[in-house]
Amino acid sequence: MDSSLELKRPPEAPLLRRHRWARLLPVALVAPTALFALAITVLPLGYSVVTSLQEFRLGQPPAFVGLQNYQNLLHDVNFKNSLGTTLVFTITATAAEFVLGLMLAMLLKDEFPFQGIIRSSLIVPMAIAPVVVGIIWRLLYNADVGLFSFAVQTVTGKSISVLSSATLALPALIVVDIWEWTPFMFLLLLAGIQSLPQEPFEAARMDGAGPWNIFVHLTLPMLRPVIVVALMIRALDAFTVFDQVFVLTQGGPGTATEVATLMIYKTAFRFSQFGYGASMAITLLILVMVFSAAVTRAFRGTV
Amino acid sequence: MPSFRARQRLWLLARVAMISLALIIALLPVYWMVNTSLKTQVEVFTAPPTLWPQNPTLENYVSLFVRRRMGSYLLNSIIIVGTAVFLSLVIGSLAGYSMARFAKDQAQQKLNMWVLVPRMIPPVALVVPLFLILQHLGLINKQLGLILVYTAFNLPFVAWMMRSFFKEIPIDLEEATMVDGASRLRSFWDVVLPLAAPGLVATSIFSLLITFNEFFFALILTSTPAAATLPVGTAALIGKTQTLYGEMAAAGVVASVPLVIFALLVQRHLVRGLTMGAVK
Repeated sequence: MDSSLELKRPPEAPLLRRHRWARLLPVALVAPTALFALAITVLPLGYSVVTSLQEFRLGQPPAFVGLQNYQNLLHDVNFKNSLGTTLVFTITATAAEFVLGLMLAMLLKDEFPFQGIIRSSLIVPMAIAPVVVGIIWRLLYNADVGLFSFAVQTVTGKSISVLSSATLALPALIVVDIWEWTPFMFLLLLAGIQSLPQEPFEAARMDGAGPWNIFVHLTLPMLRPVIVVALMIRALDAFTVFDQVFVLTQGGPGTATEVATLMIYKTAFRFSQFGYGASMAITLLILVMVFSAAVTRAFRGTV
Repeated sequence: MPSFRARQRLWLLARVAMISLALIIALLPVYWMVNTSLKTQVEVFTAPPTLWPQNPTLENYVSLFVRRRMGSYLLNSIIIVGTAVFLSLVIGSLAGYSMARFAKDQAQQKLNMWVLVPRMIPPVALVVPLFLILQHLGLINKQLGLILVYTAFNLPFVAWMMRSFFKEIPIDLEEATMVDGASRLRSFWDVVLPLAAPGLVATSIFSLLITFNEFFFALILTSTPAAATLPVGTAALIGKTQTLYGEMAAAGVVASVPLVIFALLVQRHLVRGLTMGAVK
């Protein structure tokens, strides 16, 4: 790669060519970072593929079993359930965060008193460590001392423990994710809106377009690149959510909130089935890659 | 139909109401944690809950450090995060400089994309092999193991962030010093670096935030107080404290307040940081 690099190099700024080594400088500067990147991705990924083809439990020598793990995976109801849970979590949370973030961005895009302080306050949730976010919501949801539970009890007269309810635990986790990450959408969309050129908007107003029309036919289409980036980052993150679920429910009650990452964690590190865990992780990675590729293809040229 | 002026006033009122609601939703949960952390165990269980501590006490914080070894988790975090951020900043900004200045030919661009790969792969896809590899090397439950992992994962971020900051520095400035006879490295050191200093600070605070709050790798690669970081220690506390909600809340405050302040300091660059330079 290095030699071809030198051959293909088009004439650069003449100053660069003063020394022989100067030509190698660009590559030499990136090389350590690229090597580190390879060492932590390609190497483990290769190892992971090998592991996924093995029956590999703690205390036993790994044995090659071919695609057995993947075949088992096809019939693993728990894994399918966890993928379903993850999908519901990702779609609901991302959609809600997008809508709320967009509303906030529209509310705060123009001059407003205390704009700076308001903006800073709104981004506090996403600056807090996910583990601590888990603690915050444990305190709120707790049936004995929680503020949220107290409010529900006052209104409905019933005491509920949200996190130990099979039907409410997942929505409760989605609420936590929305609380933590709506600020992210808000910030990105606000930056996008504020960087839009002003002329089209002035022209539209001159032509008598109403605010709603301007929003739907002008703001949204022009904002599309930022929207795609924001949704993409958020969806991929939500798809591999772990910390808050670990702290709040550990996947329970039963497997009601067992998202994919948590299931892989349990399989590999609680039950020490490294081979089976690795096959799940590879499957998840393939799903993520297919999704990213599809989105990238769909929006090629517009971003 | 209300008059134009009345409608405008109504809209302003609605705006104020909605923004206030958003502020309450964003801040009340955080306040509640701080509030709980300052209450006595008895007051925590009072119904209805008290909106501020009636007898504010620091006993939860004291117990945290005396009985729960929070100090050693905190120290681990500082050593691991500090070393990893420093290493990735030195190595990564060199790469970022190269990416900003020499990204003209295709091979170089490919190399640049490679740098980004670790950020695009979800951690869960790498954690099983990383655990096994570090186990072979005897680096599980060692600070060094997590330092290596964090450095490697920080590098792409630092490189791409610094690339976007370096790009904003006009190349003419460098060329001018080089015409005057300075070497490229000298002009990098004397001219570029001082100009990039604010970006360097923002980037380091960002890596600090990401690494300090990281939980998944830390949970799997370190579990003993000898190497476990603050988030791991905090999560472990939840099981140990049972109904000592005051202590749990205090741990949350310790693990988040310094970082929130850092985040607010760099909020001007927040969007760039969150998208690795894709959106400014």
